[in-house]
Amino acid sequence: MNGFPASVERYLERVLIERARPLLLTFDGPWQLRAMVGDAARFGFDAAAPDVVVERLQDLFLGLPTGQMQDFPFVELAGGGNAHVHLVPDGELFHVLLLDAGEEHERTRAQQQLGNEAELASLEKSRALARLKEIRSELERQRAGLEEAHALKNALIATLSHDFRTPLTSIFGYLHLLERRAGGDAAEIDALHAIRRNATYLFALAENLLEYGRSEAGAPNERAASLINAERLDAPRLGADLDAMFRPLAQDKGIEFHLEPIVAPPAEALFDEVKLRQVLINLLSNAVRYTHHGEVRARIAWREQHLELEVRDTGIGISPEYRERVFKAFNRGAQSGSRGAGLGLSIVKRLVEQMHGTLDLESTPGAGSCFRVRVPALERPGANLPAAPAGDYENVRRAAPSAVVVDDDPDIAGLLEVLLADLGCRVRAFDDANAAIEHVRAEPPDVLLIDVELPGLSGNAAVYRLRSQGYKGRIVTLSATATDDARRAAIAAGADHYLTKPLNIEQFLRTMRATIA
Amino acid sequence: MTELARKVCMLGDFGVGKTSLVSRFVRNTFSDKYLTTVGVKVDSKHVALPDARTVKLVVWDIAGKSALDALNLNYLRGATGLMLVADGTREASLRATLNLLMQARDVLDDPAVVLVVNKLDLVERWQVAPATIAELRRTLPVVETSAQSGDGVEAAFAELARKLAA
Ligand SMILES: Nc1nc2c(ncn2[C@@H]2O[C@H](COP(=O)(O)OP(=O)(O)O)[C@@H](O)[C@H]2O)c(=O)[nH]1
Ligand SMILES: [Mg+2]
Repeated sequence: MNGFPASVERYLERVLIERARPLLLTFDGPWQLRAMVGDAARFGFDAAAPDVVVERLQDLFLGLPTGQMQDFPFVELAGGGNAHVHLVPDGELFHVLLLDAGEEHERTRAQQQLGNEAELASLEKSRALARLKEIRSELERQRAGLEEAHALKNALIATLSHDFRTPLTSIFGYLHLLERRAGGDAAEIDALHAIRRNATYLFALAENLLEYGRSEAGAPNERAASLINAERLDAPRLGADLDAMFRPLAQDKGIEFHLEPIVAPPAEALFDEVKLRQVLINLLSNAVRYTHHGEVRARIAWREQHLELEVRDTGIGISPEYRERVFKAFNRGAQSGSRGAGLGLSIVKRLVEQMHGTLDLESTPGAGSCFRVRVPALERPGANLPAAPAGDYENVRRAAPSAVVVDDDPDIAGLLEVLLADLGCRVRAFDDANAAIEHVRAEPPDVLLIDVELPGLSGNAAVYRLRSQGYKGRIVTLSATATDDARRAAIAAGADHYLTKPLNIEQFLRTMRATIA
Repeated sequence: MTELARKVCMLGDFGVGKTSLVSRFVRNTFSDKYLTTVGVKVDSKHVALPDARTVKLVVWDIAGKSALDALNLNYLRGATGLMLVADGTREASLRATLNLLMQARDVLDDPAVVLVVNKLDLVERWQVAPATIAELRRTLPVVETSAQSGDGVEAAFAELARKLAA
């Protein structure tokens, strides 16, 4: 060698061999093992099963000539070891030499891990910072109006109300179908009415929670506009429903319930009936709850271009210092002896504001309270999706539009199928996103309705996939999550519309008509 | 019998999920924990082709970098297929992987290529728009995958195997 004394050279050789624990395999021709020298076990190889070793090495040099020097550092071996692997040609033969790299690998890996993690963390950090900034400006905007623990309550309520929506969708949807198909049997009709009344009551309670939990984000005007739904008001029916709902409750408590004769608004005056109903249900629930003798009286009347709703009781009343507080959420204790979540009046106030109305309260502690709401008629929602004239649609379309429905809840999938079939669609339903993707790819439908919360591949992921594969049809995403973030994520993935459960059947039908037109 | 075998390299920035995709594909496992790869790990799996043949994919999982150094180019030699991997939640990783492809094309002769965009289970946080993928698809097969759930993983390797055996 290079002039080292022979003793040093021998020493060096011994040290290096000890450290590298070389394993030498000698081959001739095409991977015929001639000899194996060294510590095979060290590299996780079984010397008694050379076939396996040979196959591994063959894999490693796949596609490379064995007549040339080759060198692969840091090869992780099946047994967990790590080696520098060299191929050394030798005339007709070639050798494969493995040198132990375990320690060196572990050292390098630890170092690299630190570097990579730091880089990923800084990425995550800048993302978190950006998000924090957003949140902070959001928080600052909201802080003034926030009460203690408000955010926490919102999260809790959003979770709860989420759980209400799915079964309610199903109940209302099927009720809708049953009512349309009901015969003339009076008992049957009564039963359906009772179901609707109670489901509506449950719906109103759930909606209170939802209304409360609904994001405060977005300009108030914008939010109100997007939520208002102008329709003709069936005032007599509204009155009858309220009567049917509250008279038994009042009777149970031994108090009187009076509904004064209704003065219905003219047909061209439009209102959001769901909201009005929610306002009245909340006011009446409160009145009945806080009145222990005497009466509760309700009035619905059209006067001076406004709809007036009045609920008067002879209950415990509200003292002046609590006037402000009863309209705030979670006002427990504002009315002495109160129970329940204390949401009702705060919701009433919010709903009335959304309808551009006014809300007044007169009350004398010990004598009773009177809530008076005045709301103007709404503008007809011109820009909103107009309901297609019933007969027209049949004539306009050429072929029946095709629709694909994806929902893992068979009740909801079945309901959507029926509703779409009623609109003249050919419908295929799937309970699994992957199967639906296959079908959509083979036969792209005009419209795809997909649930977000699917097991396995999520609805958003499926939508993303289809859009990235060039699916150009309409996509309507359905979800039980009523937050802006969830909506944004669905639209970013490629959906055209985002509808929340429980489905508002009218709105659903309007959206679908416009979508398939 | 000489079986059909092809060397395939996983290419992509670090942390995009190359190692995870290989574990999902070969062993059907997944771990949340990030363990960086140094050097290379070679695995193999037989894949059935549509025409009833099988091909053995010898998959090289190499350390991820946003650019290839001499060491990594050395690992690429002999490969006929490339699995490009990007992370949907990191737009930059998509650019990195396309960059790597250009570099790899300098040393490999017309390799078969499939691009996977990984972490589909985190689609709510993706920075890559569906339109971008639709655009890329004009030049490359692209598969959205999740090594976590397994979605798309088989399909991506099957696509590469098909191209390699063609
Ligand atoms: N959520 C999610 N995480 C993933 C996925 N694939 C990989 N990861 C995680 O991303 C990190 C990096 O993965 P790894 O396979 O080591 O990436 P590599 O550096 O490209 O080999 C690990 O923490 C993995 O658990 C995926 O599909 N979904
Ligand atoms: Mg790795």
